[in-house]
Formats: sequence, structure tokens, C-alpha cells
Amino acid sequence: MSSEPDNPDVPDAETEYQHPEDDGPDPEKHCGHGRGGMGEEVSRKEDKRFITGRGDYVDDIKKPGMLHCEIVRSPHAHARIEEIDGSRAMAMDDVVAVLTADDLLEHDLATMPTLMDDTQDVLVNDKVKFQSQEVAAVIAKDRYAAKDGAEKVEVEYDVLDPVVDAEEALKEDAPLVRDELEDQEDNHIFDWDTGNEEETQRAFDAADVTVEEDMEYQRLHPAPIETCGAVADWDPGKDKMTVHMTSQAPHAHRTLFSQVSGIPEHKVRIVSPDVGGGFGNKVPIYPGYVVAAAASYVLEQPVKWVEERSENIQTTGFARDYEMTGEIAATEDGEIEAVRVDVLANHGAYNAAAQPSKFPAGFFNIFTGSYDIDAAYGSLTAAFTNTAPGGVAYRCSFRVTEAVYLIERMVKVLADELDMDPTEVRRKNFIPSDAFPYESATGWNYDSGDYEKALDKALEMADYEEYREEQRRRIENDADKLLGIGVSSFTEVVGAGPGKQCDIAGIEMFDSADLRVNPTGNAVLRVGVQTQGQGHETTFAQIVAEELGMDVDDIVVEHGDTDTEPYGLGTYGSRSTPVAGAAAAVAARKVRDKAKSIAANELEAAEEDIEWDRESGEFHVAGAPDRSITITEIAAGAFMNHPDQEEPGLEATNYYDPPEMTYPFGSYVVVVEVDRETGEVEFEKFVAVDDCGNRINPMIIEGQIHGGLAQGIGTAMLEEVTYDDNGNVTGGDFMNYLLPTANEIPNFETGHTVTPSPHHPIGAKGVGESPTVGSPPAIVNAVTDAMSHAGVSHVEMPMTPDRVWKTLSEHGLDIGPADNVAFEFDDDGAGEPADD
Amino acid sequence: MSDEREITLTVNGTEHTIEVEPRRLLVHAIREDLGMTGTHIGCDTGNCGACTVLVDGEPIKSCLMFAAQADGSEILTVEGMEDLPDAGPELHPLQEGFKEEHGLQCGYCTPGMLMAGKALLEENPDPDEEEIREAISGNLCRCTGYQNIVKAIEYAADELDDAERVAADGGALAADTAGDGGPDPADGPLYEADAGDADTFCGREDCCGGPSTDETHPGEDPPAQFDTEHMGGDDE
Repeated sequence: MSSEPDNPDVPDAETEYQHPEDDGPDPEKHCGHGRGGMGEEVSRKEDKRFITGRGDYVDDIKKPGMLHCEIVRSPHAHARIEEIDGSRAMAMDDVVAVLTADDLLEHDLATMPTLMDDTQDVLVNDKVKFQSQEVAAVIAKDRYAAKDGAEKVEVEYDVLDPVVDAEEALKEDAPLVRDELEDQEDNHIFDWDTGNEEETQRAFDAADVTVEEDMEYQRLHPAPIETCGAVADWDPGKDKMTVHMTSQAPHAHRTLFSQVSGIPEHKVRIVSPDVGGGFGNKVPIYPGYVVAAAASYVLEQPVKWVEERSENIQTTGFARDYEMTGEIAATEDGEIEAVRVDVLANHGAYNAAAQPSKFPAGFFNIFTGSYDIDAAYGSLTAAFTNTAPGGVAYRCSFRVTEAVYLIERMVKVLADELDMDPTEVRRKNFIPSDAFPYESATGWNYDSGDYEKALDKALEMADYEEYREEQRRRIENDADKLLGIGVSSFTEVVGAGPGKQCDIAGIEMFDSADLRVNPTGNAVLRVGVQTQGQGHETTFAQIVAEELGMDVDDIVVEHGDTDTEPYGLGTYGSRSTPVAGAAAAVAARKVRDKAKSIAANELEAAEEDIEWDRESGEFHVAGAPDRSITITEIAAGAFMNHPDQEEPGLEATNYYDPPEMTYPFGSYVVVVEVDRETGEVEFEKFVAVDDCGNRINPMIIEGQIHGGLAQGIGTAMLEEVTYDDNGNVTGGDFMNYLLPTANEIPNFETGHTVTPSPHHPIGAKGVGESPTVGSPPAIVNAVTDAMSHAGVSHVEMPMTPDRVWKTLSEHGLDIGPADNVAFEFDDDGAGEPADD
Repeated sequence: MSDEREITLTVNGTEHTIEVEPRRLLVHAIREDLGMTGTHIGCDTGNCGACTVLVDGEPIKSCLMFAAQADGSEILTVEGMEDLPDAGPELHPLQEGFKEEHGLQCGYCTPGMLMAGKALLEENPDPDEEEIREAISGNLCRCTGYQNIVKAIEYAADELDDAERVAADGGALAADTAGDGGPDPADGPLYEADAGDADTFCGREDCCGGPSTDETHPGEDPPAQFDTEHMGGDDE
């Protein structure tokens, strides 16, 4: 039997939930109490509607009289609009309206704030700043008519020279992207730095060894399979705006919508129905949402706007786009003394990154990673360019991905320089497991960790030593396929966040849960976060089942509707479990406290004599286990026989302000074969050991790991949003922006360790983003490792066959027919036969 | 563009006659004219496969086929799976597999994946992992990393194989799995793989709505009014 914590916020997790760490796949699938609580592989409540075609996504919504919105977009990256003529479109039968910036200005809707306090045109007023920017909108009776109308809108442009590259943008003679801003005389947005510059410099000056590497984290797009869209419905009878939209943060969007539109917040309802993947893409507000709402307001009819894929990739929040230089100072035996990093960030045409407002570079200052490093300094410059705005956290806790990539790549570069095994360098520098809580050189307070344990487990699962021997054999035998072994031992900072540190547009990043138990003993939990596939309807019910001894089937989780759910900041940055999961546990414990009083009344005992038994899920009188009562019986008592000193009913709400971030970690080992003739990379083995603290649903965790690893492979091998010099997007649809298919993704071997978070009510840390964060450096480390004996220190992502082949060729490792073809390469490594 | 024409689509066993413009995409006819929104749209260019349906037994990306091209066809969408002759009392074994093996997260690609899986199992009841991966390689999933989707299809293959063995042994289990109101199994499978190839493929893998298999469609003449060679997704 477990003891009850005095304060519900104090973790009792470590003692109560910890499951055997090396249990592997559970033979019985259920390892908890059998009621679907913590640690049980409960199958998902949300599945049935999705496998039977009964999901309810934004584009599935059809309302009487609903109109369709099509956006006219600029073919130019940088151009002044001379004239927009919508008359030919308006003359078409089914076209109802053509909207331009002038129309929006009348309603004060021409601009909208970004999440980083910049101001973005909803429809271009004066100057286009990136290709495919929103210029006009056609509202018509159906989808096809809207498209026809959009083709008839005539726009006259005065085309200007664009600037696409961040480095070019910061040169003196660069075209000015934001000439509408007073005081903005160049394309510089901000400078940011962290750590101690002088101390770091001293460490570098005195170091035995220093290494340096330039690396680019290319522009990516989250590319959920469902694009962004909205159905806006202004009700002139109630003066109320209802917007069904693809939103990862419905409450924050309600506040922003209210601010943009002037409609009071209590007259705005945002509903995020089923969402077909988010990955950070659906955190910002986009012009299409605002246009749909404005059109509905003006026309007093529902208006639907749904993006096509090309619009999604070309205009909505991209991710990454950091050009980084990393440096490490170390002793001869591999002890890291200092790390330094300098970043040039391309933010596109607006500063529209999505991160807590006090963190202009997100949580990039986690770049000391899993290592105990005394001195660290990071600096960053951000620039405007004539590219789509963004910098969203693509399956990432605000630039943690870039930071982890940098440090995990640099450790490998250092290991190669010292001719040491990269796992040895890691071991030498890990923050020791007894050093937690640990404060990093850049000011983070790591909650808990046991990095060596995760690494040991991953290496064992991966047969690391055998592969090292095989690698040596292949080099000795001059084999056609080289073997590379890559490791990363990452640490994330997630669960934003403590209100004093973290806010979005001024609103503190708490989250919430509201639990109501019905007279018949089942319950509804409403949460301020929103699921886009993470399985909240199941895992949050498991938390309540655990805390109240209920069966998981008796709990329904509702989310996504601002009219009914408590205010929360939404789902991104792996914050749902760390923040709203904590709120759910605390709300359930508040209900449990009240349940005790009712139990005392029902059992005719003193309240202080009532004990809660987690194993049985029942309340009983101390010393008399037979005198027990279940939550179902207590619920009946709360409504039918409530004690005099209590209000009737059984419910509680919690707004949880996390005291600290959580720090999930893990070690990944990737083994690849690199074909010396073609430059193709094949995955031999892919091992992922994760530690996300206490685990709620191992099946869902493993699913999240698989998905994130696949995205990591997409990042490392395939994906990049590319532009030509004129600002044309050349990787702006699924024919050019390549998502991995089932053929590119290997089988993953997953494992875990459990190091609970000491400050989280259920000891959990959040897991969804670890694999996207941790896997790209492991993969790049593997590919470079295959060639490091020839002096290769880095290959840029995405590591396409031509890029890898070029690296092989430059280092004399290529073989075969390719020797006979003269190749020329342009700057980004794309090669074509010279005589073609 | 208002010269609408009348077409007949038999969707999940029910015949529908609708009037469509020649340019109307099959996916819009299914979703908007017939109101079956289980079939999704993800890319408009035939790459993602969220819109996959079976047209006369063949997996088709319905964003790459005009509704008029499907005139007279039998179409299976996700909404019809529960009523297939080989479905269990509640779900088809493929649907069960996706649930049991956690083969879905956001659910958006799932209907297309189910259709791709259905087409594969019709053609190859006992596929190995590589064959499954190949068969779903025209369907993108951003959530699962595919591993559990492969397992889901393996699960269904095993279930269907068990059911067939029981039937072959003289048991009646396979026949009694039809759901209420579903098609009579005695009429034979509704959507046989060899029920006739749709006459719209260029024959190239992963193109013109074709399946991502090695199968080609020799000797077929597309309807004269459509140029089906590498047809664009829409008018963008």
C-alpha cells in the first residue's frame, strides 16, 4: 500500500508508478492494476472513429449556405502591387466576393500579430514579401467556382529584386524586405546571446584541443498530412464568431482572434476538431484563417478555407533554417572544457517563429546537451529574407532540435579529432547521475537523468562492438559498402513552462484540467491541450483512472472546444503530459480529497481515518479494509447524500503552473551502409532507448518514438524546402518536398529506462519529440563515421545520394562506373553530368 | 464549365446517380456529393494516398481521377469496410489490425492505408514485410513510422487466413462474419482483384492513380474524352 502525499503537487510518482526498467515487451500487455491506469497498454479510445471513416476533420464540415474561399497568391517573391482588378472574377456566376487588403482595412483586419510580436499582412497591402503570399481572396459558392474566380483576379506587380539567403540579406546593399517598418533600415531582426563569452574564450585560449565545424540545419516543413484550414461561421443573431480550425492551441487562438477582430473574447468560439497531424505547423495563426473569418463576418454566411499542399508548404510555418558554427575546447583525453556556437537564423519575411516570447531563439541554449561543461557561449543573429515566415517548433521544444544536433555532431567531430570512440567521449563528459538537479552553464535546471545507463542499454541492444569490428574489416578489405555507426545521447528541455519564464503573447504557459464525476460514477475530463494524434483521449483517461481507481473506460476526455474546455496553451513542445497531464493528476487528487469526506460520511467514520488504496482503487477505514467504498459509490453519495460540510457534486479544476521544465533524454544508435558506387545510404540497424520518466501508455510511447524517428530520417535523408535565387520555392509540394515512405523507413528497435521527474505529479516528462530531436545527429554521425577514416568530418542534411557520393569522391572513397563520368556540382551539392 | 453529365457510382454496394462537371475529381464527388468524408485529401498531386479508394477492386488515388471516369464503377471506401463479406461482426480484420497494432495516430492517412492494405490482400493474401511496404509506399503517413502499419496488415492477413482455413475445413465461420445488412457472401466477393481493371492507368507505378505494384495494365484504351497520360491533379 502506498502513502498519501501531504500536498497533491508533491510527487509520489517515484515510489508508486515505477515499473521494471528492463521488462521489454510486456507478455500480458497489462502491467498496472488492470483498470487501465499508469503503465498499461490500453488500446486507444480515438481509434474506432478513425478506422471506420467517422473522423471529423475541418474539411469534413459542411454547413448550410457555406461558401468557399480561395486565396490569390503572388507568383513573385518580392514585388509591389500596382493594381488588383477583381471585376472579371466578380462577373462570374458563383463568385460572391473578392477581398483585398483595402476591404480588410475597412474592418481593421488588414494585419495580424505574429507570435513573436511582429505584424503580418493578412492580404498584401502594398508589397509582396515572399512567393505565394496572400494577395486577394475569392469567395464563391463552391470550391471549383472559387478556384475559377481566383484565376480571373488580375494583379499588376512591379517586380523587385529579392533576397533569399540570410547571409546575403545582412549585406549592406541587400534589398530591404521590410521597408514598411519605421526604423528598419536593414534586414537584421535581432541579436541574442547566452552564457559567458569571456570565460568561454579563456577556456578556448588555454585548451589542448579545439575543433570547429560549420553545419546547416536546413529549412524543413512539418507537413502534416492534413493541411491547414478553417470553417468560420459568424452568427449575426448572437454576435458570435465560431471558427472550426486546424489548431494546436485553440484557447490561445481565441485570444488572438479576439484581439485581431475586435470581437470580445466571450463571443469567439474556436473548435479544433479532429486534426490530421500538427507537428508545430498548426500553432501559428495564418492569413487564411483570418480571411475566412472576415469573409464570414462581412457576408454573414459560413466560409470554408482549406489549403492545398503547395500552399501549406510554401506559406505556413517552416522549421529550422539555422546556419551554425560549433566549436569545442577539450583536453587531450577528451574532457570538454567549453562549447561555443554562432548561428545565423533565416526567419523569412516576418518574425513569425512560435516560441515563448522571452526566448527569441527558443530553447537553443540547451546546447550543452547531456554534458557537464563549465563554460559555454552562444550567439545568434536573425534576418529577414524574401521567403515564407516561420521558425516553428517542428516536433520540437523550441529550437531544442537545432541545439541537440549541434552538440551531438560536435562530440563526434571531437572524437574523430582525438581518435577516440565517440561513446568514450560521451561517457567522460556526461552529467553524472548523482549530480541532479543540475544547473547548466547556460542556466537550465535539469530535473533528473541517468545518461550512461541509457547509452549502455542502447549499445548493448545495437551490438555496438561487433559492428565496430565489422566496420574495421570492411575498411581493411576495401569493401564496396562502408559501415558507419552513429550515436547520439541527447537531452531535451520540454514542458513549457513555468509562468515566470514562459508565455505566449503574454499568457503564461500553464495548462488545465477540469474533472467532473457523474452521479453514476463515470467522469468527463476536459483539458486545455488538444490532440493531433498523440492519444490524449486515452492517456489522460489513464491518469484519472490511476488517481481515482476508476476503469479507464468510464472516463471520457474532451478537448479542443473553447466554449467548454478550461483555458490552456495547447499541444506542442512536448508539453501536454508535463503540463496538462500534471493538471489532470492534480484535479483527480482534488476529487480524491473530496471523495474522502464523502467516503467518511458513507462509511460513518472520521475523515482522517479514511485511506485510499491505489492497488484496489478503493477507499477504506484505517485498520478495517473490509469497510471499503469505491469511487462509483462515492459519486452516488456526492449527489444523493452529500455531507453537510461539503457542497454537493464531485468535481475539481486545476490550472497547473509547472515549477520547472522536464528533461527527457535517450541514446540512439544507428548503423548504416554507405554504397561507395552510388552514395546511397541503407539503414542496417536503428536502436532507440528513451527515458521519459514514468510511462503512461507504453504502446502509445513506442508509436510516438517510431513516428518521430521516421521524421528524423526524413530530416537527415530527404527533406528540404528549397528556393532559387529569385525566391521561387523549388521544394514546395510533395513531388519535390520528399516525405519518407514505407520503403525508406527501417524497423526500429526501441528500449527504455525510467528516471522519473522529481517535480512532476506523476513523474512523467513528455516524449513525443525526443525521436525527432535525437535521431538526425545519430544518422549524420553514422554516415560521417563510415567515411571518417578518410578524413570526412561532416555531411550536410539532407544526405541525398549525390551529396554523399560527392563526399566519397572528394575523399577518394568512390568506386565503380561513376569514375568514368565527369560530374560538376553546384554549391548545394546537387550534381549533374557535365555534358548533360 | 457547367455542362454537367449524369454518372452512376456504386459506392459500398449502394448505387448513386449524380450530375457532375467533367472536371470534377472523384474524391470531391465522394466527399462532397455523396457526403462520405472518410476519404481524405492530403496533397492534390497523387503523392500522399490519403484519398485512396478501390475502383473496381483497384487502388486509385481519387484526387487523380475524374468522377466521370469512374462512371459505372463499383467503389469501395473506408465506410464500406465493416460490411464487406470478410468483415467480422463489427470491423474488418484490417480495421482490427490497425487498432490492435497501434497502426494509426492522427487517423488522417488511415482510410487510404486501409484501402491500400485491402488491395494488397486481395492480390496477395500472405504478403511478406517487403511486399507490404511496397504496397503502401504510395501512401504517406507522418505519424507512425509505418512499422505498426506493416504489423496491422500482417495481423489482418493472419486473421483472414484463419477465417479461410476454418471455412475450408467445412466450418461456417467465414460466412457468418458478414455484418447486418451487408452484402450476401453467397454472391461472392464484391470487389475482386480481377473484377476488371479500371481503364484509366498509364501503367506507370504510382502514377495516374495506379497502384504502387509492379502490375501494369496492358492493352487498354482510355476513354476518348480524357487524356489520361500523367494527368495533373487539378487546375493549379
